[in-house]
Amino acid sequence: MIGFLSPFILLGLLALPLLWWLLRAVPPAPSRRRFPGVRLLLGLKDPESTPDHTPWWLLLLRLSALAAAIIAFAEPVLNPRAQTAGLGRLLVLLDGGWASAPDWRTRLTKVEEILASANRPVALRLLTAPLPAEGDLGFTAAQDLAPIVQSLTPAPFTPDRAAFATWLAKNPQAPFETLWLSDGIGDAAVLASALKFQGDVTLITGDSPALSLLPARIEAELLVAPVHRVNTSTAETVPLIAIGPSPDGVEQVLWRSEASFEAGQADANAPFDMPFELRNRIKRIALAEGASAGGVVLADSGLIRRKVALYTAHDSQEGPQLVDPLFFLKKALEPSSQVIRGTLDDLLLAVPDVLILADVAALPEEETARVMAWVEEGGTLLRFAGPHLAAASRDLTVVDPLLPVRLRAGGRQLGGAMTWDTPKRLRPFPAESPFAGLHVPEDVEVLAQVLAQPGPDLAGKVVAALEDGTPLVTSARYEQGRIVLFHVTANAEWSNLPLSGLFVDMLTRLSVSARNGAASADELAGQNWLLSRALDGFGNLVDAEPSTAVSGETLTSVPRTAVSPPGYYQSADREVAINLLTAETLPQALAGLPLGIAREGFETQPETPLKPPFLLAALLLLTLDILASLFISGRFSGGAQAALLALLLVPAPQAKAQDERALLAADNTVLAYVLTGDTRTDEISRAGLYGLSRTLFERTSIEPVDPISIDIEAHDISLIPFLYWPISDQQPPLSPLAVSKVNSYLRNGGMIMFDTRDAQLGAGSINGTALQRLTGQLEIPPLAPIESDHVLTRSFYLLEVFPGRWAKGQLWVEAPSNLTTIEGAPFRNLNDGVTPVVIGSNDFASAWAINPQGRPMYPVGTGARGERQRELAKRFGVNLIMYVMTGNYKSDQVHVPALLERLGQ
Amino acid sequence: MSQTAQFLRAEAQALSGALPPLLADAERLAANVAMGAHGRKRAGSGESFWQYRHAMPGDNLASIDWRRSAQGDALFIREREWEASQTIGFWVDPSQAMDYHSAKHAPKSTRAKVLALACASLLSRAGERVSLLATAAARPGFGQAKLQQMAVALADLGQSADYGILPPPHGARGGHRLFFSDFMGREEDIFPALKAHAEAGNDGALIHILDPSEESFPYDGRIIFESMGGAIDFETRRAKALREAYQERLDERSAMLKDWAHRAGWHYHRHSTGDNPQATLLWLFSALGVKR
Repeated sequence: MIGFLSPFILLGLLALPLLWWLLRAVPPAPSRRRFPGVRLLLGLKDPESTPDHTPWWLLLLRLSALAAAIIAFAEPVLNPRAQTAGLGRLLVLLDGGWASAPDWRTRLTKVEEILASANRPVALRLLTAPLPAEGDLGFTAAQDLAPIVQSLTPAPFTPDRAAFATWLAKNPQAPFETLWLSDGIGDAAVLASALKFQGDVTLITGDSPALSLLPARIEAELLVAPVHRVNTSTAETVPLIAIGPSPDGVEQVLWRSEASFEAGQADANAPFDMPFELRNRIKRIALAEGASAGGVVLADSGLIRRKVALYTAHDSQEGPQLVDPLFFLKKALEPSSQVIRGTLDDLLLAVPDVLILADVAALPEEETARVMAWVEEGGTLLRFAGPHLAAASRDLTVVDPLLPVRLRAGGRQLGGAMTWDTPKRLRPFPAESPFAGLHVPEDVEVLAQVLAQPGPDLAGKVVAALEDGTPLVTSARYEQGRIVLFHVTANAEWSNLPLSGLFVDMLTRLSVSARNGAASADELAGQNWLLSRALDGFGNLVDAEPSTAVSGETLTSVPRTAVSPPGYYQSADREVAINLLTAETLPQALAGLPLGIAREGFETQPETPLKPPFLLAALLLLTLDILASLFISGRFSGGAQAALLALLLVPAPQAKAQDERALLAADNTVLAYVLTGDTRTDEISRAGLYGLSRTLFERTSIEPVDPISIDIEAHDISLIPFLYWPISDQQPPLSPLAVSKVNSYLRNGGMIMFDTRDAQLGAGSINGTALQRLTGQLEIPPLAPIESDHVLTRSFYLLEVFPGRWAKGQLWVEAPSNLTTIEGAPFRNLNDGVTPVVIGSNDFASAWAINPQGRPMYPVGTGARGERQRELAKRFGVNLIMYVMTGNYKSDQVHVPALLERLGQ
Repeated sequence: MSQTAQFLRAEAQALSGALPPLLADAERLAANVAMGAHGRKRAGSGESFWQYRHAMPGDNLASIDWRRSAQGDALFIREREWEASQTIGFWVDPSQAMDYHSAKHAPKSTRAKVLALACASLLSRAGERVSLLATAAARPGFGQAKLQQMAVALADLGQSADYGILPPPHGARGGHRLFFSDFMGREEDIFPALKAHAEAGNDGALIHILDPSEESFPYDGRIIFESMGGAIDFETRRAKALREAYQERLDERSAMLKDWAHRAGWHYHRHSTGDNPQATLLWLFSALGVKR
């Protein structure tokens, strides 16, 4: 769409016919030509007396040149900003929920555009923000709102439109117009009607509402992540990533998968066919593109398949299955765990998460010690009572350390033919019990049990009890692990507990079994949960702000609100992941819009002034006209032709082949810098690396060729040993492809030096923010200020400071993972821990930069001290590249005395 | 300047080097031959006596052959055989019009100078005396020194008027004249001057030098034609339409010159700078050598 800033100038186009007439009347100017034969011509008459008309095409050329000039001065603009200049008050309403997150920046840009062009009172509201207490929406001047726009963030839940409609109904407002930037999801009927009542409403939505992920589940040993979409018009493939910690604890992408949608299909599953161990490490699954809180599912124990070892002392394969003490356990565990069986030796070698001993009297002393050691390292030992255990406990002299409580001799029988008591039911679980909130079925009865020896600490160990208060399940912690005893058998011999669903729930609560998919209401009920880490609207996991605990019921109620945002919740030692969406709260397309609401798209193409191209066109046409006139008047000589040809021969594009660049990097040592899009910065980087290359050439055996520039999105960086990356806030965020490329580069031994170049400005500068934005998705290990004994301080020169053009900035490198002292000297025992990134702010390139004549290009400091600082900067550069090339070689120097000593012997 | 002269000379000598020495005067050649080979056929002394003729008023008294005159009433003059070599006077049109040239061709003046000098070189080698009319080299002479002088004079030719005007005839009668020009001037300037030369007893040749573009007139569109000095101009809306008429006029001029030459016993040759100058030199060779 094209608009004109000065449309009145277009009236000039009316003059074109006049010009046409004039041009037609005036023939082209004659050329003058020296010609001796002119005397012979004298007296000759032109045979054609009609005047020589300007040819029609020349006329057209001139008219279009003039038209182009007129249009240019009318200042045409492509995609002009909508003139939201109407009258009255304007409410800019944003849904602000998770579904707005994927195109949040577009939305903010749109809002800024609206504010920029609105000359009237404007109010800006997020539907996810708390409702104003006062009766006014706070209309104010548009320019007052502009500064806060960029600080708005989407909330990790669904906007409560009905609440705002209710508020509007309670707080009558003077009429206002509404621009509603909606996420295109959910029921809009009530609010739309309420807004319509206040004035005109324009609904602005994106092309395609956000995709949502549902909690992953395990189907036939395959992890499946369901993806839901609202716009089902086209077939599409949605990439997903599973994120979890690598063995060294750094979170990384563990697996990639995609969900394929057919046209018209709203749900698709992304299968993650990955190894068992890897799958257990998954922390969350997210959409690779268009992240939002709804596009991330957090994983908790629900996705973890524990290794459960079942051990029975006596092999009962011959006996009937249903009385096998392990039969019900197997049934309960097999769908959700990896169950292994075998001898205790084998089982302990397999390092199970849970070891189950069902009706095992006592283990030999040596095995007891091994099991105890395993428990103390974090194992869960789950024991079930039974005749053997009961028999063993008769011997009071022997204390079995693998029991949470001491048992009384013998057990008790309830409800048998020879007893007075009726079978006992279960008492509701106490609040501090891990089983709290589980519903106790009426028909669960206990016929026999072993009894715990009363003692002062018994009460603290009971996690489930019978009606009469006798312990049914006891538990005790040992170091990292714990031992749990069910005082009944694992089969239906002593009670029908193993037959009930409660049994499975209890196992789940004990983290022995695992549920499939999201935590159920039963699992959470009755406990208070505290948010530990929360998802923000963009789907990033952030540390939660201190908040009050919420009850399990609140957590399972849908939809989520500000009270129960998605994230990880903790209660006692359990942690559950609460995800934003469940099968009941699937997003639906925006519905219920009343008639009379205008709809718009975002169209946030930037406003492009077209004046320059039009002027250029006019100029070109006029140039053509000159040539054409020359041609017409016959003065178009060979020289002019050559000049024109030279003019038209546009220099061939300097598309340097990717191959050439790779070849250069492969054949030579070459330093490279990342193009920022800021010409000046790029030139400084080039000159800086050129200077550093020269310094290296002169002083060391590293002899780099001239530095090359790297477009981080387009070029291959795998062959570059060192990338200098000045941070400029003009650099756009990295695409996912580039992120993966850079991550792979960093993993495989590349080094990037980020330079925010703002040490003189102090903390919190724009470039620092830009650095965070750029590197947010990179796998950068934990960083720490450089230590005085870092290899960088001695890889070539001995350095204590690392100045560039500025001297104050702190240099950050990978945090030391392990610091030991050998023979009194600190020794960084890094596992080839060459830091993949160096982050500084001293504007090193400016200090290194020299011009082709070898003179420094930028002043550093003042006087001799400045020159000293420049020299130190150069030395740091040498050290840095030496460090890039030799790694922690110099770190090994501490061994030299030892080696010499050995040689001496 | 002397470089240009040397260039002209070198070029002229290169051009004339391929031709045999030119014997300018066929009659003298014939006489020489008769003297050598056929002398006995002719009654006479065998000396360099040529003929007697009646003395005319103004004849030198000393040239009267008294012995012959005593035989009658009339006074006779004993004419000897003309032993002096011929004088060939060159005139190269110095006008600005001669400097005209189209894109690929040398100026007409250059061509004219080269032709003139080549011809002079040939004649000089044959022992003829050459001169350049209306210049510093107007005194007849021969030999390398003379050629050198002529070359300098040719290079020095100043650009005078738009169109060249023939110098008036003076000096020895009965010489040969070689006029190199484009003859683009006014008819009333050209023909009376020619006539004066013819009447002065000279014979000679007109070498009409034209540029190819003057012959083909390859112009179109709206053009103001100017003479080289800018004194005359002519505007046309469509030059192409005038081509026929122009060429007709040019041919007419050419025909007039040829016609005049024929009547005066002169030679006429039209030369285009687009053509090989050697052909014209050959023609000159034959024109000067064969006719008499």
